[in-house]
Amino acid sequence: MSTNANRYAMYIDASKCMACRGCQVACKQWNDNRGYIPGVRETQNIGSYENPLSLDPQTWTRIRFIEYDDPDRGLQWLFLKQGCMHCGEAACVEACPTGALKYGPNGIITYERELCNGCGYCSQFCPFGIPQLEVTNLVTGEAKSSKCFFCQDRTTNGLKPACVKTCPAGALDWGDREEMVTKAKARVDRLKNELGFPRANVYGETQLGGLGRLYVLTAPAEAYGLPADPKFPVMGTLWQKVVQPVGQAVFGLTVVGAIAAFFIARRNVHMEEVE
Amino acid sequence: MSVRLRGTDSAIAIRWIPKYTTLERALHWVHTASFIPLVLTGFVLFAPWLQPVAQSEAGTHIRLIHRLAAVFFGGVPIVYTLLQPRRMLMNLREFLSFSKYDLLWLKGAIPYYVLGRHEDMPPQPRFNTGERLTAVVMVLGTVTFGITGLSMWFLKGIMPTWLYQVMVLFHDLMFIVTFAMFMVHFYLAVIHPMMWQSLVSMRYGVVSESYAREHHTMWYYGEKRAKEMWEQRHKGEEH
Repeated sequence: MSTNANRYAMYIDASKCMACRGCQVACKQWNDNRGYIPGVRETQNIGSYENPLSLDPQTWTRIRFIEYDDPDRGLQWLFLKQGCMHCGEAACVEACPTGALKYGPNGIITYERELCNGCGYCSQFCPFGIPQLEVTNLVTGEAKSSKCFFCQDRTTNGLKPACVKTCPAGALDWGDREEMVTKAKARVDRLKNELGFPRANVYGETQLGGLGRLYVLTAPAEAYGLPADPKFPVMGTLWQKVVQPVGQAVFGLTVVGAIAAFFIARRNVHMEEVE
Repeated sequence: MSVRLRGTDSAIAIRWIPKYTTLERALHWVHTASFIPLVLTGFVLFAPWLQPVAQSEAGTHIRLIHRLAAVFFGGVPIVYTLLQPRRMLMNLREFLSFSKYDLLWLKGAIPYYVLGRHEDMPPQPRFNTGERLTAVVMVLGTVTFGITGLSMWFLKGIMPTWLYQVMVLFHDLMFIVTFAMFMVHFYLAVIHPMMWQSLVSMRYGVVSESYAREHHTMWYYGEKRAKEMWEQRHKGEEH
């Protein structure tokens, strides 16, 4: 579990986001991720500005476009900046057998691509479905995972993540987590009391040990497609904390038992009686 | 076949009884040769202290070897069913038939295998209780590994994540059961001082007449006769 001291966080104000998707472009540009690849990764018109259709191995952040019928304000177009939540209790870190995913400095869930062996457990255990597996060969299982790592190369050198730096609407910010929580709460107060969003709320303050992304939302989390109460996967806990230690104990005891049985049997078994 | 006794001119004749077909023996060793690499490569993702081996290119190759071995492991029952379906069914039926003698066998197993007390062992068919339990676990293991393994291989990202997580868990649970069982199987077949003939039978397909009479009475004498002999012996003890 990551310690809460010196945790940094990304502030994401959905009420200010205008879905220009400058963050998507800046992310790809800084991290050298490809956009359009003819025949492999093409843009598709699905009757929405939303593009690409989901996070993918080359898209670590993107804006979701949601049409929401708000009981107070009528039809709303909600924008949600998706990406790794950098959970305080991260299922991906626990599930990763290689240590490619770690609790890094400043609460960042760091990712070392060189260590990844492509097993994809992170993508299957993340409660938000964030890590994306780029499978280069389904039969051999050759693959690499990828996800946002809060521009570790920038943020550990005093810069802001590329997406934050580029956001023209001032919807994004980066800084000490406590400060970001205060800022988010102040913004929610203003949205509720002055700007007419009675159901504005902060998302990410307490979930899963506190998320590294703090969302200011104008509608309930579910309306944005976020789980209201995300849970650390029970199967992950059972697997890592119960089954694996029990398994190793069973193997150890079987070996010890067999060795002991062998020495006792050698003393007691008389072949001439048996045959 | 006769065996010449070392240092003398005498020879003793041993009658050998066929127990396994050539195909069964060949498949047994393919099964072994694929199970061991499966265990070794699977253990890398299972034990956190083996993390350095799971990393990066090494990990990718470990996962590839696991898949290759799995193809052979899964191929064994398929090839057996296709080539000797009647033998397969016969064995399966024998594996699944348990009787009151199996309880007696379980009761007598520890004193027998550890302390060498063989007087109390009840009559057994071609496969004794332990062998049949092993076989049942093996069948369950094959089915479980087949379902969970193929799902994890081909349905990642297609099946719901909760189901994938269940697959991972059951794959691990079955690994614990089958590997622990494998160790016991290996101990009894290869290391145990009394059981050398089982290894011989898996190599040459035969067991000696005396071994069959001692260990698999129901197979040697027939079920009825073996039971009668057992009852008679026990009546004698009670009086």
